[in-house]
Amino acid sequence: MEPGAYTAHGFIGDDSRSLKDILRADNEAVENMDLTHKDIAARMKYFTDVGKEAPDSVVILDGIYEVLVDDHRGFIPCPFADYAKELKTNTKLHNRDKDKDIYWSDLNIHMIGEHGFYEGQGSFFRTEPVELARILGLIE
Amino acid sequence: MEILKTILSVTGIATVLTVLIIIAEKFLNNYGECKIDINEGEKELAVDGGSSLLTSLAANKIFIPSACGGKATCGMCKVKVVNGAGPLLPTEEPYLSPEERAAGVRLSCQVKIKNDIKISVPEELFNIREYQATITSVSEMTHDIIEYRFEFDDGEDISFKAGQYMQIESKPYGKVKEKATRAYSISSVPSDNKAFELIIRRVPGGLCTTYMHEHAKVGDKMRVTGPYGDFYTRDDSDQYIFMAGGSGLAPIKSIVMDIVEKGLDKKMIFFFGAVTKKDLYHTDFFREIEEKYPDFKYIPALSNPAPEDNWEGETGLVTDVMKRYVESGNGRHAYLCGSPGMINACIKVLTSIDFKESLIYYDKF
Repeated sequence: MEPGAYTAHGFIGDDSRSLKDILRADNEAVENMDLTHKDIAARMKYFTDVGKEAPDSVVILDGIYEVLVDDHRGFIPCPFADYAKELKTNTKLHNRDKDKDIYWSDLNIHMIGEHGFYEGQGSFFRTEPVELARILGLIE
Repeated sequence: MEILKTILSVTGIATVLTVLIIIAEKFLNNYGECKIDINEGEKELAVDGGSSLLTSLAANKIFIPSACGGKATCGMCKVKVVNGAGPLLPTEEPYLSPEERAAGVRLSCQVKIKNDIKISVPEELFNIREYQATITSVSEMTHDIIEYRFEFDDGEDISFKAGQYMQIESKPYGKVKEKATRAYSISSVPSDNKAFELIIRRVPGGLCTTYMHEHAKVGDKMRVTGPYGDFYTRDDSDQYIFMAGGSGLAPIKSIVMDIVEKGLDKKMIFFFGAVTKKDLYHTDFFREIEEKYPDFKYIPALSNPAPEDNWEGETGLVTDVMKRYVESGNGRHAYLCGSPGMINACIKVLTSIDFKESLIYYDKF
């Protein structure tokens, strides 16, 4: 989780809470939306897969979403030590209705779906679960 | 007094336990001198047991490609172990196919030397060397791509084939306490053998690219090894199709410069895919080659040009653009460097127009 292990900034950002507290709070936020982490991860994967079909190109979906997938060389392992590894692929999603951009990596999809981990506050790829669900179009 | 006695006895017990642990570790983890037999006795190394195979070989100047510095995250440091490696570790499993496992292929960073071991490695790995090099120029190409020139210290030179890559080692910075090793394609021409150039695209949060983009500067010395890789042109064709995206331009630039410099009789088309005009770079460089060398054609394609780009060139997915120019395989070779998505799409297009798959060479990110 620390800076330097797998990434320059680590996965916790400047969050002072313990990992357990981060997971607990995010889990509560997701339950309050009547969603599961797997629902959120599946929606993220849907956009990423669409973006991967058109490499180096912005894909427009439903007139609302702009998806751009960006690949970098190599793999990154899951910090939860479950031997999972993901390509260094990042997805940028722009929601035109909400005029908001969010970013995630393939590893984020795995960490959210399998571990309910959205990274700590202040880390590069964290989006608050409620904001994430809203921009992904899972809630109003 | 009682308190002092308790403190002293607890401290005494802790000290004795610590000493016992240190002694036990020394004996339990002491594997003594072990032998590494390479290619059936072609080379034999005597090493102290306890380190990884990758580290032990590097200490003896045999450099196995490794883009993650031994963290089992790149899967590049594969070596065939004939015997003596111990059981396969869970960390290796995701990187090895059933065929590789059956053939005894292992990740050398995960194999700990505990006894004598026999391995088999390709001959060309013996040509890889370690250098100290100094950054002599840093040129911004786009908002997230920089080209660096490194010159070898002590007047050393290098022999590489256009299309190969080097590995560089970043230094600790900020909260990052460890060095990181990463692989980048050479963008300069092989005849410029006292130096080499690398094109490095920033990876958000990347250990080495963050170092290079935020900390590396002219005058810095870095440890590098190379050359590595088999992404270079084969001579049995006189027509080449090149396709790249992002930093994948680097090996193609080296290959094109090499062919032009040698005056080889090759027809070349280079398709470069980008999203908007701000993602294009070295455009003038390739236009200049186009002017001087009539058999070279450069075709940049933008998938989503911005209105302010006033783009008049090719638009759309670079693979679709390629379809408009290349009608059939017809003995041509294709060299592709870019994202897995781009390469997979390109292979699909090329094979659909009768390109032989065995004549499509690629360097997939």
